[in-house]
This record gives sequence, C-alpha cells and structure tokens, in this order.
Amino acid sequence: MTAAGWGWLILAIPLAGCVFVSLGWRALPGRSAGWIASAAVLGAFASAIGAFVSLQQRPPAARHVVSIAYSYAHTAGVNVDLGILVDPLSVFMALVVSGVSFLIHVYSVSYMTSDRGYARYFAYLNYFVFSMLLLVMAGNFVLLIVGWAFVGAASYLLISFWYRRTTATAAGIKAFVINVIGDVGMVVGAFLLFRHVHALDYGHVFARSAHVFSVDDGTLVAACLLFLVGAFAKSAQLPLHTWLPDAMEGPTPVSALIHAATMVTAGVYLIARLHPLFERAPTAADVAAVIGCATLIFAATVALVVTDLKRVIAYSTISQIGYMVLGVSTFAYAAGLFHLMTHAFFKALLFMGAGSVIGAMGGEQSLDKMGGFRRAMPFTFVAFTVGALALGAFPLMSGLFSKDAILAFALHRGGGYAVLAVLGYLAALVTAFYAFRMVFRVFWGDRVPQAESLERGELWHGEHFNPATGEEEDTDVGFPGPEHHIAEREVPMRFAMGLLAVLSVVGGVVAIPGVTSWLENFLRPAFSDSRYFEQAPTHSAEWVGLAAGAVVGVAGIALAYTFYVRRRGFTLELRDRFPRLHGFLEGTWYFDELYDALFVRPAARFGRFGRTVVESAFVQGVVIGGASGVVRSASAIARGLESGLLRGYALLLLAGLGGLALYFLLVSS
Amino acid sequence: MSVPLSVTIFLPLAAGLAGAVLPRGWARWTVLAAALAVLGIAIWMVADYPAGGAGLRDLTNQQWIPELGIRYSLGVDGLNVFLIALTALLWVAATAAACFREWDRPRLFYFHMALAETAVLGAFCAQDLALFVFFFDLMLVPFYFLIGSWGGRQRVRATTKLVIYTLVGSLLMLAGAVALGVLATPAGGHVSFALPVLAHRLVGKGTQEWIFLLFAAAFLVKAPAFPFHGWMPDAYRAAPIPVLVVFSAVLSKVGMYGFLRIVVPLLPQAAQHYQTLMIVIAVVSILYGSALAFSQDDARLVVGYSSVAQLGFILLGIFALDVEGKGAQGAVLQMVNHGLVVAPLFLIIWALSARAGGSESLGRMGGVAFRAPALAGLFLIVALATLAMPGSANFVGELLILFGTFSTKLAFGLVASAGVALAAVYMIRMYQRSMHNRVGAAVESRDVTRGELVTIAPLVAVIVALGVYPHFVVARTERSTVRQERPAASLEHASETGGQASVPPAGTAELGPLGRAP
Repeated sequence: MTAAGWGWLILAIPLAGCVFVSLGWRALPGRSAGWIASAAVLGAFASAIGAFVSLQQRPPAARHVVSIAYSYAHTAGVNVDLGILVDPLSVFMALVVSGVSFLIHVYSVSYMTSDRGYARYFAYLNYFVFSMLLLVMAGNFVLLIVGWAFVGAASYLLISFWYRRTTATAAGIKAFVINVIGDVGMVVGAFLLFRHVHALDYGHVFARSAHVFSVDDGTLVAACLLFLVGAFAKSAQLPLHTWLPDAMEGPTPVSALIHAATMVTAGVYLIARLHPLFERAPTAADVAAVIGCATLIFAATVALVVTDLKRVIAYSTISQIGYMVLGVSTFAYAAGLFHLMTHAFFKALLFMGAGSVIGAMGGEQSLDKMGGFRRAMPFTFVAFTVGALALGAFPLMSGLFSKDAILAFALHRGGGYAVLAVLGYLAALVTAFYAFRMVFRVFWGDRVPQAESLERGELWHGEHFNPATGEEEDTDVGFPGPEHHIAEREVPMRFAMGLLAVLSVVGGVVAIPGVTSWLENFLRPAFSDSRYFEQAPTHSAEWVGLAAGAVVGVAGIALAYTFYVRRRGFTLELRDRFPRLHGFLEGTWYFDELYDALFVRPAARFGRFGRTVVESAFVQGVVIGGASGVVRSASAIARGLESGLLRGYALLLLAGLGGLALYFLLVSS
Repeated sequence: MSVPLSVTIFLPLAAGLAGAVLPRGWARWTVLAAALAVLGIAIWMVADYPAGGAGLRDLTNQQWIPELGIRYSLGVDGLNVFLIALTALLWVAATAAACFREWDRPRLFYFHMALAETAVLGAFCAQDLALFVFFFDLMLVPFYFLIGSWGGRQRVRATTKLVIYTLVGSLLMLAGAVALGVLATPAGGHVSFALPVLAHRLVGKGTQEWIFLLFAAAFLVKAPAFPFHGWMPDAYRAAPIPVLVVFSAVLSKVGMYGFLRIVVPLLPQAAQHYQTLMIVIAVVSILYGSALAFSQDDARLVVGYSSVAQLGFILLGIFALDVEGKGAQGAVLQMVNHGLVVAPLFLIIWALSARAGGSESLGRMGGVAFRAPALAGLFLIVALATLAMPGSANFVGELLILFGTFSTKLAFGLVASAGVALAAVYMIRMYQRSMHNRVGAAVESRDVTRGELVTIAPLVAVIVALGVYPHFVVARTERSTVRQERPAASLEHASETGGQASVPPAGTAELGPLGRAP
C-alpha cells in the first residue's frame, strides 16, 4: 500500500473505533469496549509503521506525500480540501501518538474497570486519538485547526468525565475556553497568511511566503505570533497555562495521555511544522524561545511546593514542554521532537505510577498524606522511580539525551540563546529535585495506614469525598468507581508501565551524539528547507553538555535526598522562614487571581450590567416606550387588534399606503 | 420534471384548510403529511440544483395586479434553495414535535402552523418586491395567534410587543417598497416591482439611502439585532416550543435573506454607504448577545440571546462586501447552519424541562446526562456545532464571514472574532449546567423517548453531514450569492482604488428582464 493509503488508515481506524464503541455502548459486555478501543489504536499504530516503511522506501526528496480525499469547501477564493500530508514529521508524530496512546488504552482497560461510564470513556479516548492524529496528519491550515479544536473538545470531555464533580466541570470549561482562544488566534493567523499568499495548504503557503514576505515582515511576524497563541494555549505555556493544572480533575490515564504525552505537545509540533515561517520571522521565534524558557523556570519553581501529586506532575509537564518550545523555536527541531518523544514515555509512566499510588490511597492525592509505599508497591515503586530518573536527567536515561540536545543547540547558537541554555540547566537542577521530592515523599518515610494495609494484602477504600473540595459524592451512581485498581494486581497496567519504563530508559538510543543519528536522518527530508537543521553542535560539545547535565541531575537528586530523607523537616523550616515566597509559589504566582480580576469578573459584570441596566431600563423602558403612555397606548391598540386582527392589520397597512401616496402626491406636485 | 412552486408554497395552506374542516383528530396528520410532501419536494429541488448553478429556476411569472405593476413571480436559485429546504425540514420537525402533544383547538393550531409555512416559503420564493412584502407581513398573522393563543405565561404582553415591533418594521418596509417601485420607474415607463427589473433601474444615491433605512429597520427587528431585540425575551418565553422552533430558526433568516435578495442588490450605493453602520450593529449584537447569553438562567433565553449573536455574524458577513463574496457566502451558509442548530436546541430544552420537573431554568437542571447518554450525545453535537467548532459547517460559515470581514474591515473582524470565544462560554455553560454537575432537586433523568428521537436525531444527522461535506452547500449557493453582492462590493472596490464607480446591475450577465434566462 502507498504511504497515502497508510495515512488515511491511520485516521480511519480510531474513528471507526470511536463510532463503534459509542453506538454499541449498551451491547458491549465487560471490558470489551476497552479492548476494542485499544485494538483500534493498535491498528493506527500499525498503519503508522506501514507509512513509515513505505516512506523509507522512497528517495528522500520524495518523502512528502499529499493526498486529497475531496473538496471540503471551495468557494469565493477560499479553497479547502480534505487532504493529508504524509512526511517524516507527521509520521514521527503519528508513531509517538498512537504508540503511547495504545499503552494508555491498555492501562485504562484495568484502571477504569469499575467505572459506570466505561464505554463512554473509551469512546472519548478513541475520539481523542483520532483528533490528535488528524491534527498531525492534516495537509492544510483548516484541517489543522479542525484537529486542533477536536482535541480541545476531547480534552474537555475527558477532564469533566466525572461530571458530577463541580470541580471537574469547572476545570473542563476553563480548559475549553482557553483552547478556543487559541483556536481564534490560529484562525486570524491563517487569515493573515491567506491574505498575502491566497492559499491554505502547507505546500503553497510555505512556497509563496518565501517570495511574498521579506525576513521579519510585519505581517508574517504577526501571523506567527497568532499561531503561537494557539500553540501556547494548547501547550499550556505562559500566560495561557492556567487550565492544565486544573485539568488533573480528569481520570489519571487521561492526564497521562492528553495532558502529558500527546495533546499538550501539539504546540511543539505546530512550531516544527511551520518552521519555514518561523525561520523567516526570527523575531517571533525569539519570542517563543523566551516564553518557553520563562515557562520552564516558572513551572519548575511551582512544582517544588505543590502538594497534590498529580499537580506536581502537571507543572512538571508545563516545564518540560517549555524545554521543547525552547528547542524548536531556537530551530533545534530534531532535539525538540526528540524530547517530545522521550517526555511522552517518562511522563506517561509517571502518571501511570501516580494513578497506581492514588488507587492505593483510595483516591487521595495529597503528598502530605502519603509515605512509605516502597515495600507495599514494589512494581509501582520501580516504575515510578525510573520515570523520575528520566525526568531528572540521570546519566544514560533517555531524558538526559533529549534535554541536553536542546540545551547544547541553544549554547551552540550563542548570544542570548546561551543565556537561555544556562537558565535551562539551572531549571534542570530544580527538575531533578522536585522529581525526587515526589519519589521520597511517596515511597520513603513512615508508612501511612494505606501502605500498611496494602502490605497485608488489603486495598484501601476511602470515603467518597471530592479531594479538592471535601464535598461528598454520589456513590450510588458508581462515581468515580467503587473500586480502585493498582498496577501491582492488574496485568494490563503492569504491561503498559513496564514497556514505558523500558522505553524511558532506552529511548535515548535514537540519537546518541556521535553514535547514532537515526532520528535526525529520518526527520531530515521534512526539514530540507531549513537553514538550521544541519547546524548541530560538535559531538564533543554535546558530550560536554551531557556531562554537565548529568552532574546537574545527580546533584538535584542528591539535594532531594538530603532534604527529604536525611534531614526531614528542613523544608518545613524553610517554609516557615520564607512564608511570602512559599505563598507566592504555592499560589502558582497568582495567575488565576489575576485573570479572575482582569477577565472573568469584568465579563460577568458586563453580563449583569446588560441584564439589569440595558435590558430592563433601556430596551424594556426607553425603547418600548418609557413610563408614559406608549406601552399603554400600544396595548390598547393591540387589544383592539385582538378582536379582529386581520381587519385592523389591513387598516394599518392601508393607512400606511395612504400616507405614502399622499406624500408622493405632495412631492410630485 | 419539477413541481410548480405555487403548489409547493400553498400545499401546507391547503392541508391546513382541509384539516380545519375534517374531523378533529385528522388535522395534525394532514398538516404533517403536507409538511412531509413539501420536504420531499424541497429535497428534490436541492438534489436537482446543479453545483455552480446561478439562474432562477422553476419560474412562475404572472400578472397579479397589473394596475400597480405587481406580478406573481416566484423562482428558485442558489440563494434560496437551501433556505427553502431548511424551512421544509424544520416544519416537519416542529409539526412532528407538536403531534406528540395535545393542543386546545387542534384544528386551528395546525391551520396556523400550515399558514405560517406557506407564508415563509412564499417570502423565500418571491421574485417580486410587492409579493415579498405580502408574504413577509403574512408571516406575522399565524405567529401572532400561535403565541397569543397557545403561549405560556405573559403571552399577551409578549404578543403585544411582538406585534408593535414587527408592525412598525413592516410598515416602514412597505413604505420603502412602494417608494422604491415608484421612484425607480423611468419617465413614461410602467411601475414594476419585479426584482430583476428593479436591479436595472437603480435610484439615485440619496434616495437609496433613506429607502435602505426603511428596509433595514424591518429586517433588523425580525433578526433580531441589537438594539431592536426588545420583543425577543418575552416572545421566546411565551411561545410554545414547536412554534419557537420555526419562529427562531426560520423567521429570523427571512430578514437576513431580505438583505441579500433585495437591499444589497437594489440599493448598492446605500449598502456601501451604510456598511460601517451595519457592521457596528452586527459587532455589537455579537458581543452583547454573547454576554447576555452567558448570564441567563432561562435556557430559552440563553439560546435566544445566542441567536442575537449568531445573527450578528450573518449580518456581518452580508455587509463585509468583499469582492469575492466570502462574507456573503459565509452568511448564506450560516443561515442554514444556524437554523439547523437552533431547532434541535429548543427541542432539547423541551426534553430537558420534561426531566427537570417542567422547569426551563438552568439552575434547576443538572446531572441529566447520567441516565440519558443518548440525549447527552445529541445535545453535545448540537452544542459544539452552535459554538462553531472547527469540523462543523458552522465553522466554515464563520470562517468565510471572518475572512470576508478581515479583508474589508480588519479591525471590526478582530473584535467580532472575540465572539467566537464567547460562544464557547455560553454553549458549554448551558450544556454543563443541564447535563453535568450535581443532580438538580426535581430532576428525574431518563433517556430520549421515541418522539424526541425522531424529531431531534434527523436534524443532528443533517448537522453532521454538512460538517463532513460543507462544499455541497457552498458550491450551489456561490454564483447566485456573489451575483447579489457584486454591485455593492465592486462599488466598495472602486471607492477604495479611487476609480469611477460603475455599477453593473445585478444579474445582467445571466438574466434577461423579468428574470428569464435569455
């Protein structure tokens, strides 16, 4: 089969899975919905491999296949086709997305077993995978925006999956609205390009903008910045990041899939996909690099103090995506995408481990109430620690290679980029520290009752309270599942976590400086028009960077060990000594409060003003007739009409006509 | 082979009259059968209409009142073919929804429903200005009775306001129509109201301007656009749901259609002159409607104010007046889309209130989704289409409207695009407050009944189909729509380039006098 054929299959199979599960939800027994959905994603992964193989069989210059199914909308100069683009970049993304998604589907088969919305969950999950694949396979801006919005909708549905939790539904609407703001940015950005290049498909846009726009042309920079609004909204970068921590209200596998491994990296993909534009608008690229760097520092500092386990990982995600954004916007495409891949492995793994721990805690997520799980959950412990080692850039772990590739490239470009790289190394220290803060607080320390009961072989079942608000929850509807499932006891969960743990360790093998350059070689044809793709630093420089990164990683872990194992309580002293700083960090730099004051409350006030003042005073009062008479006389007329509406109506029409005739008589005489 | 338009238009009325004299129980079935027959004809019309078609088809053109130059002239082209189909489809849905309930004086009720369909179809098909005015005003009569006699609380107040607003608008339009016909008559010529003739007899710019305002008043009230929406909250609260379905989904489109069929091609210089004013009204409607929509508690009013915003988008597209007609094309597509989403929304509100102890207040709903997953799924698709999520035809419509506006009035376009984000707020809020969150006190959740399913599901299917293949619509509307806008848009273009304005009359290329293809 041709590459295009595989490309369409990549999209078709998860869509078919979604339709099948959502229509057949009533008839599917037991775990079959989960297995069917998993099989659909596995089918997509197999198709992605098919596309990979058939691309590799072509000469490098021909690894760019556009396939059009039909005209989506051709009118008034706007020509949009339903078309996909199969090239190394889209196939790389499809492989990562469908591969990680498959493992998370398998994990979910067990994790969600006792949930009453089992089939609904897998229908949403397959819909998400379809949308994400549509996003990466799209061959034009409109289809890209369609995929972009679809993943936003899927994310909304899954965040508010436990829809009886008001915190979950509030988080859902927040995520959805911020994502729509991003969509609007993309639409306007697409128009700015369209206005000058009169096309919406990648090929024509990129080819023509090379002629139409000079370097750093104002319109082009504006368009790129608008695309960045979309990218930052989806990838939770400053200042549009506030939805992601709240998104942790969704089931944990959802956090692993959507809010760590795949959807939130869409912004990174977007910058890489639009690299011909960003390279022509270096100002916009620099803005992205600075924001990426600021985000990675900001999120890392917050991750130091947050006590909700899932939120720590969420801020870590924001921070790691900051690295990726820094990478692709300093034009280190291969490095940025490399980190995207390794991060997908180890972050999905961390979330799965967290899900297992939370299951063992009976739904409790606070680090303050955890401890001593090492012996009770050996499998989870090992897997989670491997994830944390990869995140903390421990020597020879995948995370070290990918993160360092980004920072080495930035150092290599020198100047301001070197400053960003140094800041990146500093944040890497923080990263290793907070990664092991989680490990030490969850698995070391005194055993909590939940850990003790698990060691006796009993799984703890907590009270059904919303951990965020303390509200009691409706257990009669099986929400959020009367039982919890942990990796220690479920084969599918262990399978998914084990495979991800292996990948987190060896994932770096695709691009070891001086040894392998598989990833670069594969991606090269997609970036043949880039001026920066070949400008890699020397291998020796990269190894120096790797050594530095490894030292930083080990130092961070050692520091965490000192603070949380050797000198426990020291962090509490720090907190008491610097309450302002702690409050600032724990309040996540007060972004939510700021937006509340700037946008949410004024909008609500405007709505209230409209309802009370404009509607009742102006529209009902002044326009309809004020206090005196008009309404009354009008209703008198209407009462008259009621008795014989048609007659009165005809009379009125006649009166109008007569008046008009009179007017023209007077005018013409 | 095709059915004469007169048959299509008057079939519902005939059925309504027949129902009125037949035994009581038969009225609903005769009217429903007629609506289904009209739907069949409309589907045939759409299927038969060629992609890229432009000229008027299925013409009926006869003298009616020769003394006044009024002709009974009907025709179908790309501009109205989908609106006719929309009318036919929604009338079937509304009539079917009504059939599942018992009404007082059913014969009269169904007679008025049928009369209303005839009036709306007539207004969409009319190719003579006087005939259009006749049908436009006729629409008010059945709705006055439907809301006034079968409505809910405060129906008298509601109908009073409705009648005053619409009547004032209608009278102004009548005056405008007469003036246009008379003033356009060349010395020694005969008065004519035929639209193709009037397109050749443009009046002077000053005259165009005041006639424009008369028409605009009528159409903006009908829409309704801010600040002419004062009748809307009461009328929406009072109207029975099946009536509201067609009232909100179809009638508001007649006004917008009037802009495209009459105002822009016949008064191109005025359209150009008042472009900014109309765009300001559109943008304010979008922002104001959205802001009110997300601060309402009554589900009907959420949809009502969202319609103000959505109609604002359509108005924006019509007056984008870009040369290629992107805005107008988007507006036509969006008219169809908006009708298709508003109708199921009101049917869903009906279904929700049946589960929330009869209340339509969002505060008393909540948690309905649990035992009603199918209803929740249908609502979700409609809600996402309403907020114009990419992938729906509504998105294509809004994209075209915004692209058209950006290319002529960038700043207004940018302000309007904020409305896209606001739509997400009010629709998701409504979905969430009704379907999600904790279960309301009086909520008794159960899944869709068969009656709800047969009325809602086909509409959802059409929404999905158009989302997959919007090209089907835009390919058929393109040439007719662009032809309506060309005189005004090229004027705009000429004034931009500083050249001499030359106004090619609408339809010269394709049509001879009286709309006959040469």
